[in-house]
Amino acid sequence: MHRPTPIPATRLWLLLLPAILTMVLVGVIPLFIVFEYSFYDIFTLDSRVWVGGQWYVDLLTSARFYESFLRSLTFSLVVLGIQFPLGICIALMIPREGPFRTTTLILLALPLVVPWNMIPIIWLSLVDTDTGVIGIALDRRNLAFDYKFNALHTWALIVAMDTWHWIGLVAILSYSGVASISPSHYQAASIDQASRWQVFRWIQFPAMRNVLLMALLLRFMDSLMIYTEAFGINAGGPAAATTFLTLDLGEEMRGFDYGPAAARSMIYFAMTLFVVWVFLRSWAAQQRHE
Amino acid sequence: MALTVRRIAAVLGFVALALFILLPFFQVAQLSIMSTLGTDEAPLGSFTLMNYRNIFASPALTASLINSVTYVTLNVALTLLVALPAAYAFSRHAFRGRRAFFITLLAFRVTPPVVLSLPVFILFSQLNLINTPVGIALVHCVFNVPIAIWILESFISAVPREYDEAATLDGYSTVGFFVKFLIPVIAPGIGVAAFFCFVFSWVEVVFARTLTVTDGKPITMAISNLFGFQTDVGLVMAMTVFSLLPGLAMIYFVRNHIAKGFVVRS
Repeated sequence: MHRPTPIPATRLWLLLLPAILTMVLVGVIPLFIVFEYSFYDIFTLDSRVWVGGQWYVDLLTSARFYESFLRSLTFSLVVLGIQFPLGICIALMIPREGPFRTTTLILLALPLVVPWNMIPIIWLSLVDTDTGVIGIALDRRNLAFDYKFNALHTWALIVAMDTWHWIGLVAILSYSGVASISPSHYQAASIDQASRWQVFRWIQFPAMRNVLLMALLLRFMDSLMIYTEAFGINAGGPAAATTFLTLDLGEEMRGFDYGPAAARSMIYFAMTLFVVWVFLRSWAAQQRHE
Repeated sequence: MALTVRRIAAVLGFVALALFILLPFFQVAQLSIMSTLGTDEAPLGSFTLMNYRNIFASPALTASLINSVTYVTLNVALTLLVALPAAYAFSRHAFRGRRAFFITLLAFRVTPPVVLSLPVFILFSQLNLINTPVGIALVHCVFNVPIAIWILESFISAVPREYDEAATLDGYSTVGFFVKFLIPVIAPGIGVAAFFCFVFSWVEVVFARTLTVTDGKPITMAISNLFGFQTDVGLVMAMTVFSLLPGLAMIYFVRNHIAKGFVVRS
């Protein structure tokens, strides 16, 4: 790869300007508005009282915040632990060419195009004991599946739903890494009589590593901050067992607690920035290592 | 022998994957052609096309389809327009702040919409962008522009630099070069970027709901509004089938390129 060359500053800025302006309008300015609001107690948008860092102190000293954080983190680790090994396996089994390859890729992309609020509706209808395919099958075997009041069942349903929703993204991204390997590498490996594991460890995994890291960042943040789908299943229940970070935020917004909601939003954004920063650092370290 | 075993395992794996992915879609299709409330014409549980007829009988439902298609199309056009020059700059030029810009883009891509929905609502109220497709199309740029820049950058970096230099020597301006040279060679990349922008805009719910208070409701909200004291699940599922059609069409268009272009560089 050749090193990019410097160019006249004006041309560079003209190329970047449309994107920067757009991101400022829909990202940076809203963020500043939230930042400002997080220091006020807001009754209406015209009547508000300065409270300083009160909301931040309240939030960071509340046990509930850490409980939700742990719950979200557990959820992330569970879904990543399922989706990455499974996604990589699927990617390795997709043939390199032919109609079978295209069929599998189309299949994997299907759940990605379902509107997010429809996903819990679809999964709830699947486990419905009157009309759902899974619900009826479980009912016939007298297996009670109680996603409303059994926390473990709610978790199982959300994890299955999330895996269905996102396995395609992990598999497609991993596959795009595997597909970039030139056939000569495999020929060399077969001449050396490399085992299946050696081929994976020394040829396929290195080719996937960068896209996997990107997939890991996307999936980690999206699962840590899952909202629409999880809320749709059981609204955080039973008894807060699936109250993830963003569900607390949604609750504050529905209650018009804009000050605390703003402080919470800033803390979540800070967490996001921190995670992105950690990923990019480990990435850069890895590339220096190569 | 080992090869046959591996092949059988692959086929079984594929069947299992297909079952897992298709089962929920089967459920949707099945309920969409079932009478779930029961009428004189179609008793409870019987086969009927009534649900689909009911969609077209409801102006709110048909309007929501048009609203969604409008803002998603606007968003894809806007995203590609601003992302393409930026992706080109990223691919070809080293500049101060490149890394900081990249971190910011990534951070906004992974920021949950619920964090930004309140201030975006306040800002857009002042700009008169509430209840319009333009408002939703704009706000969806916050996650789509970063994705598009990333995908397009990979495709542009695959084009040799000599190609740009030849066009510059021939006297083409930047705009001329983009239209006549760059866009045709990275057409698959534009297709893939458009696909992902389309999908992420189409499936997003939080912004789309916040920004449509009285008018311009997207299809996702029209479906949520069907829920009530006595929900017509069949109608919900028929609408869901419609909500899948544009995405299916997009998958079909990019089926041969979908797994290309995710090259990641630091």
